[in-house]
Amino acid sequence: MQHIMNITHDYQWITLVWWILIGLFVVIYIILDGSDLGAGIYSLFHADSEEKGSIMASMAGTWDANETWLVVVGGSLFGTFPIAYGSLFHYLMIPLMLVLWGIIMRAVSLEFHHYSERSRVYWDWGFGLGSLIVAFFAGVSLGAFLQGFPVSQTTVPTFTGSYLAFLTPFSVWTGVTATIAASLAGGVYLRARFDRKSDIYHKALKWTNVMFYLALLAILSTVIWSFIQFPWARNKWIGPYWWAFVLAGAVVLYATWAMRHASHQKRDVSAMLWLAVIVFINFAIMMVTIFPWFVPDTMTIFDAANPSNSSGAFTYTMLVFVPVMLCYNFYQAWVFRARLSKLAGYDSHA
Amino acid sequence: MTDPSLMIGLARLDFGWITTMHIIYPPLTIGLAAFLFFSEWRWLKTNHDEWYRLTRFFEKLFIINFGAGVATGITMEMAFGILFGPFSQAAGPFFGNILGYETITAFMYEAGFIGLMIFGWGKIGKKMHLFATFNVMFSSMLSAMWILDANSWMQTPTGVHLEKGLFVVDSWTDAIFNPNFLTAFPHMLIACFEIGLFFVASVSAWMIYKNRHTKLFIRTLTTSLMALVIVAPLQVYMGDALGRTVAEYDPAALAAMEGHWHTYNADGSPNTSWNMLAWPNEEKGTNDFQIAIPHVLSLLEDHKWVSTVPGLDQFKKADRPPVLIPFYSFRIMVVAGMALMLLAFWALYLRIRGQFSATKLQQHRWFLRAVILSSTLPYIAVWTGWWTREIARQPWIIHGLMRTSEGVSQMSITAEIIWFIGFVFFDLLVWFGAWYFFSKVIHKGPDMKTAVIHGVTPETMHLGDMPDEEASEGKPLFVRPTV
Repeated sequence: MQHIMNITHDYQWITLVWWILIGLFVVIYIILDGSDLGAGIYSLFHADSEEKGSIMASMAGTWDANETWLVVVGGSLFGTFPIAYGSLFHYLMIPLMLVLWGIIMRAVSLEFHHYSERSRVYWDWGFGLGSLIVAFFAGVSLGAFLQGFPVSQTTVPTFTGSYLAFLTPFSVWTGVTATIAASLAGGVYLRARFDRKSDIYHKALKWTNVMFYLALLAILSTVIWSFIQFPWARNKWIGPYWWAFVLAGAVVLYATWAMRHASHQKRDVSAMLWLAVIVFINFAIMMVTIFPWFVPDTMTIFDAANPSNSSGAFTYTMLVFVPVMLCYNFYQAWVFRARLSKLAGYDSHA
Repeated sequence: MTDPSLMIGLARLDFGWITTMHIIYPPLTIGLAAFLFFSEWRWLKTNHDEWYRLTRFFEKLFIINFGAGVATGITMEMAFGILFGPFSQAAGPFFGNILGYETITAFMYEAGFIGLMIFGWGKIGKKMHLFATFNVMFSSMLSAMWILDANSWMQTPTGVHLEKGLFVVDSWTDAIFNPNFLTAFPHMLIACFEIGLFFVASVSAWMIYKNRHTKLFIRTLTTSLMALVIVAPLQVYMGDALGRTVAEYDPAALAAMEGHWHTYNADGSPNTSWNMLAWPNEEKGTNDFQIAIPHVLSLLEDHKWVSTVPGLDQFKKADRPPVLIPFYSFRIMVVAGMALMLLAFWALYLRIRGQFSATKLQQHRWFLRAVILSSTLPYIAVWTGWWTREIARQPWIIHGLMRTSEGVSQMSITAEIIWFIGFVFFDLLVWFGAWYFFSKVIHKGPDMKTAVIHGVTPETMHLGDMPDEEASEGKPLFVRPTV
């Protein structure tokens, strides 16, 4: 596909920086909100009403800050890759719509649970179901993204397929994988957040063990499936830089071992951090595999970019604000870092 | 192929619905944040605990409202690309960047300080807390500025040119400070203050009406209504200024808002009649009936006795906006704004006559009832004002440069209907939920029992500073603010 406009050399690197930055925002969102979503999925299966309340309470101070990263993804994608934003989101209309409904359901439940009495049981369920819907359809969206989508051969390529084009066995499978991975993250998170004497702490251990092996299976099969289905992935992995992927894979394996080891030794925060490392490296491998595509087989990073000169000022602004955002996100997590007991529901101090 | 006009209509309905259901919350967030800053500042200044109680009480309402705003707002960030993909692609270089700025410099900034404001009681010092509240206020206003800027640019798209189907920014200054923005942003910002003040006034009036905590709420009732004596007329003035901006840059929109079809009368003189009421007939290009007053239109638009105001007959039929909704929604907004101004004057009149104490106001039952009901009017004004603005810009999505039909995603009718039904359900859930919990919190009234929190104390310091073991035993642990 031809470039829409001649991008000057300077803006090529700005575009590249933005591609990396947006990838960074996405993976930060996945790491932060993945745990919250997983804890919500856990609450569907394993918690009484009081425990559900305390799980919600455990993220009361941070869940909205974690979700703001999703808004940042949307905002910066619109600004710096409008060609991709306008076509990709159109293609993903249905799964994104469901993600949004899940987010609304979850947000409402988290907020209103605190004030409710008789209606509390509905907010409990809304929180769990909302989490499940978000995790699953975010995974479906990711799978659909990897498959690419048909676009018009015009100067500005628009999406030309049907609104169900996203739905394939592969995207459903990535949805399942994402749900399992989030469930694992949720278990690890609960282990780190709850008091060692509490019931949840022990129940979350069993949950985490099961989810760990399920996640291992799911992710491996997704990798194999991608290898078979996507030439762009296969060629990269067995290409001249195959050793880099082997190396990265080895680091992931080591981190996996370290996570389990930390978990066995009840160093729960370490386990959480190792899991974040695993997610981060896996995501980086995915980005490198996709490069130079923005959406595989659909548009390259430069096709998708803001073709005009307007990203420069935005870049400088971001260079100031991203560290600030990271600092306060960290500060918030730090303020609310203490372990909780089951008693620490919203209502205990109303 | 399905009927394109139905598809475009549904896309507009889908987007219009989520916008309508989102705009309920942010203006109150902005207005209430300003009020919270004021009342907390009064507390620090006067050391009267009433101000602390009031701050904490209105803060609870603020949290509910903010949560609802976030829940409906995340949708907005994605909906541009989903429903109006080609528009997003074309306008991205400017519009997308502005939304990006909003996310980075306002939304994230706000979310950070809101966490500190809500959960920070007793964990940070008093002055630091006031600083957090100030930042919540400031960042929410900044957010409104960026959003209004993006929207105003769709009304008066200056500083750009179209190249191969994309808008390229020539001058950031011209694009950001586009003519519409300069009047539309103040108009919207004052609307936020007006909503916030009437909300506070309405809750306070209800408390006094019910004879509860009158010592507290007479303070907020007086402050909010006296502020409105200035704010409400100012809003009418800003509305007039915005009206003249629209008249200058988008005469078709203005003609639609006024149901003004004929530039000249039959005898060739300029048609200066202002239609108070009318029933437009878009087929025939005239009003089926109208109640008109001569000279008022030129007085309103040009502040002159006789002037030529372009009517819809100056525009090709394909370039004319719909008339019925802009005409009536504009009138409803104006009536609401006027009514609110009169109510503020009524309050001033009572104040001058020395009636502004709880016991004396309780004799003025109708005044209190009017104030209680008044909180609905700013919402109606914001809705109708927004509909006027968006519908009168049609058939353009970016005025004069891109038609709505060119900006819409090519969607199936089924998908659009599913979208609509789903968001009707979820947005109403948020709305009813928010109002249900508003009424619950208001009904419960302010918390008068818990000790006033003066800065950092051992009881309220965050648990992270305590050893792990100690934290897990004894008292149940905090999660929400120590209310």
